[in-house]
Amino acid sequence: MNIDGERQRESRGPEGSGGAPPEGWEAPRERWLSTVVRPAFGPRSVLLEVAARLLIPAILVLSVFLLVSGHDKPGGGFAGGLVASMAYVLRYVAGGRHELAAGMPTRPERVLALGMLVACGTAVLPLLFGAPLLKTFSYEAALPVFGDVKFASFLVFEIGVFLIVVGLVLSVVSALGARMEAEEEEAKAGRERARRLRRTGGGPR
Amino acid sequence: MLLPFLLALHAVTAVLLPWLVRVAGPRAFLLACLPPAATVVWVLSRAPEIVAGRPATSSIAWVPALGIDLDFRVDALALAMVLLVSGVGAVIFGYCARYFHTGERGIGRLAAVLVLFAGAMLGVVSTDNLFALFVFWELTSITSFLLIGNDDRKEQARRAATQALITTAGFGLPMLVGFILLGEIGGSYRISELVAAPPTASPWLPVALVLILAGAFAKSAQVPLHYWLPGAMVAPTPVSAYLHAAAMVKGGVYLIARLAPGFADVDPWRALVLTFGLATMLIGGWRALRQDDLKLLLAYGTVSQLGFLTLLAGAGTQVAAVAAIGALLAHGFFKSALFLTVGVIDHQAGTRSIGALSGLGRRMPVLAAAAALAAASMAGVPPMLGFVVKEAALEAFLPGHAAGMPPGAAAAVLTGVLLASILTFAYSARFVWGAFADKAAVSERRFPHPSAAFVAAPVSLAAVSLATGALAFLLDPLAQSYAAPFDAGGQPYHLALWHGPTPALGLSALVIAVGVLLFYRREGVARIQRAMPRWPDAETGYHLFVHATYAFALGVTRRLQSGSLPVYLGVILAMLLALPGARLVVVLVTGDVAAPGAGEGFRVWNSPLEGVVALLIVVTAVATVREHRRFPALILISAMGFGIAGLFALYGAPDLALTLVLVETLTTVILVFVLRRLPATFGTRPNGWGKRLTVLLCAATGTFIAVSLWLMTAARTDAPVSLGYAPRAHEAGGDNLVNLILADFRALDTFGEVVVLATAAIAVASLVLLNRRARVVEESGADPLEEEGAAGSDGEGDPAAGNGLAAGAGGTGADSGPAGEGDRS
Repeated sequence: MNIDGERQRESRGPEGSGGAPPEGWEAPRERWLSTVVRPAFGPRSVLLEVAARLLIPAILVLSVFLLVSGHDKPGGGFAGGLVASMAYVLRYVAGGRHELAAGMPTRPERVLALGMLVACGTAVLPLLFGAPLLKTFSYEAALPVFGDVKFASFLVFEIGVFLIVVGLVLSVVSALGARMEAEEEEAKAGRERARRLRRTGGGPR
Repeated sequence: MLLPFLLALHAVTAVLLPWLVRVAGPRAFLLACLPPAATVVWVLSRAPEIVAGRPATSSIAWVPALGIDLDFRVDALALAMVLLVSGVGAVIFGYCARYFHTGERGIGRLAAVLVLFAGAMLGVVSTDNLFALFVFWELTSITSFLLIGNDDRKEQARRAATQALITTAGFGLPMLVGFILLGEIGGSYRISELVAAPPTASPWLPVALVLILAGAFAKSAQVPLHYWLPGAMVAPTPVSAYLHAAAMVKGGVYLIARLAPGFADVDPWRALVLTFGLATMLIGGWRALRQDDLKLLLAYGTVSQLGFLTLLAGAGTQVAAVAAIGALLAHGFFKSALFLTVGVIDHQAGTRSIGALSGLGRRMPVLAAAAALAAASMAGVPPMLGFVVKEAALEAFLPGHAAGMPPGAAAAVLTGVLLASILTFAYSARFVWGAFADKAAVSERRFPHPSAAFVAAPVSLAAVSLATGALAFLLDPLAQSYAAPFDAGGQPYHLALWHGPTPALGLSALVIAVGVLLFYRREGVARIQRAMPRWPDAETGYHLFVHATYAFALGVTRRLQSGSLPVYLGVILAMLLALPGARLVVVLVTGDVAAPGAGEGFRVWNSPLEGVVALLIVVTAVATVREHRRFPALILISAMGFGIAGLFALYGAPDLALTLVLVETLTTVILVFVLRRLPATFGTRPNGWGKRLTVLLCAATGTFIAVSLWLMTAARTDAPVSLGYAPRAHEAGGDNLVNLILADFRALDTFGEVVVLATAAIAVASLVLLNRRARVVEESGADPLEEEGAAGSDGEGDPAAGNGLAAGAGGTGADSGPAGEGDRS
């Protein structure tokens, strides 16, 4: 399952030998993502990269839609958070760990912490006004362009849940996925260093 | 009353100190003097009233329903203790400003914890509520743990700190039980009320008293729990002087003295206090005689003196009570002076070993004179306070003079006290000789002269010992006020330097004479000590106990946590079948539950589409079990999950279906990350009996779940809660009931769940990353992601614990993921 990304890039070229397509034939020639792409699994793929480029903004918008529409229709903070984290997982699968790092707004722990802060804040805030814990309020207003707009304070709580879910998935992905990948690369670099040392006929004894 | 504010002042100072130390260095300790000094000023201003029998009181309600209130009551005993805790504390804080160097590691923390300790100790001695006393008591245990382990890079310091904490806090728990028993049978948690009207009729009273005495003995280092005190000497010397001479170890004695007026006549009390006190006195004194380290000599001397104090405080006679107040103060003054002297010697000469010090008396005459005075007080030489107190103590146990004690017991105690006093004289002399004398066999060291301000602390404490001894009548009203509840038989004993030619004076002279002899024959004494067989050591007992606990915990863990996911799953399923499953079978056999049949709302499906989805689920489930490769098995499991999501959608639960689809997708992707590290096929699969057992267990569980669901649908007796949700939904501002339940009606549940999620995220990240920590530190700056991981996992924990966790992570890491499908049998 580990396919050597560097080899792929070096031997990229249109000419193939025999009937099989040449190695790296799927790799795009244009730049679709923001970093030097080294996918998490397998060779680079133009389909995956283009799809990631086009879909990620749409997925993120969908996640916000789910978050907001949770009042009246299916959705809510948990589902929205899962969808948003799916966008990051797609980015990681298509572009590798550097791409994921470039796309993350901040460290996963910070997202988690922010989510906890928002959730705790909405839980505790009503206490300050003499209301019970987690008491919610809702307002409706008629705005000129948007029409009737409803705001319920549990949306804030949902935002906290959303952030916590995103933080959870991101930290698991960066721990299980990106971190393991880094380890593999490190091991490979170690092997190469050893090989170079052997070739030059010795090293530090 | 000002006391709660003074306590708060301690806390506030403790919070500010780390910052102040960073800015001003050790000079910030001078500021730390302020709260204790203010306390002393306040308590002295109230002293005339308190001594006259009108205690200063105040009360703050805390948990009134449980009788837990912050009641404060400063009477004569508390006044003496406050003088000790805050007065000696202020002197020692001043000394710290000279003892520590600028830029030394961890002084900020040390200063803060020391002030916190001073506040906690002040709380112990001034509170009148048993629960508040316990809280302050344990606070002193915890702060003492932090102070002993201040040099947290030394393993010895960490071990001594843990030992002290386990001993004192561990025996604090039985004490809490004793407090609760006492409060329940006495009908009040106020100490003053309990002592004034002890519930002597209750058969539980002796139990409560024994439990309380256990806690007090551990705190005051009574044999056989004395081992933690010499170990605690790894703390910086000012800390030892304060905690282990003046303040904390007096906690147990204080508690005994506090309860003695009410409970000294209840049966096991006097026997326990006298036996343990006497044994502690003798063993401590004997062991102090053979120490080479000056600080350890003082530590064993403290153990001995604590036995003496326990004896006096618990004896429950008027003379003993008078002596106890005097001895509390005397010991606090002379022992902290001696510790501070050792601190100066150690600080200047770089050693505190008797075998390496010579000629210090000529180099530091003032310090030597002060130490000699303090040691004279310890040895009971006139005109020091120690002498006055020892006279009173001997008087207390003279046969015939001791009211309420059989003459035989009094004679035995008197003999013990005499022997221990001789030992005390001998080790006091040995201390002065060892620290300051010229020794022919030892070469002199060169060292800088200590500054006057540095020496001022021990000198002033020694001067107090001298002054209070010569002017003992000044302390007498205090002692009389405390001893008033005891029956004096019409002629109360008074603290004074000169009582005329009494038997006690003769005994004092005898003690000094034999002590001098013992000191001059010190080589012979050392030979006898070496020739003695080694008694079973109390510390060995502690280590055996701790090791047995570890071994037991490890054994249990090894049996329960085999590391195999199939075994865990098997245990859970077996429990499910054994408890609710067995009950279900019983119910079915006896026919207590009506099984819904056809026509009672039981139907096969709502629409045939459900059958199709169910078929898909069954097929994928069977295929999963039969699949030998990991990746296809994962895909099949996901397909099964999507099938279940389809069922939800068909039943009209789009929220559930949506969430399940998303979760299934994410889980699959994350499992694929893990699968990269695992072999392509399952290595071993159960065979033979293992296979049969697995199949049987799984089939039984499946049947159980199906049957119980089938019965439960018909078992409803009340209207569902959810009916009430619909009308309230609009009021809450939404139409999606599921979401409203999550975010509004049951928001507290959701809140708990997201806290669990966040905890799990941190746990997963740290478990996966921990075993890389060492390398991450080496290659810092390699790339941004690495650094994030390093910062995320780099806890403040003990490195040893970190390694252990990492090993654990290595063990379970291999099993995480889809290994549950039968990776190991």
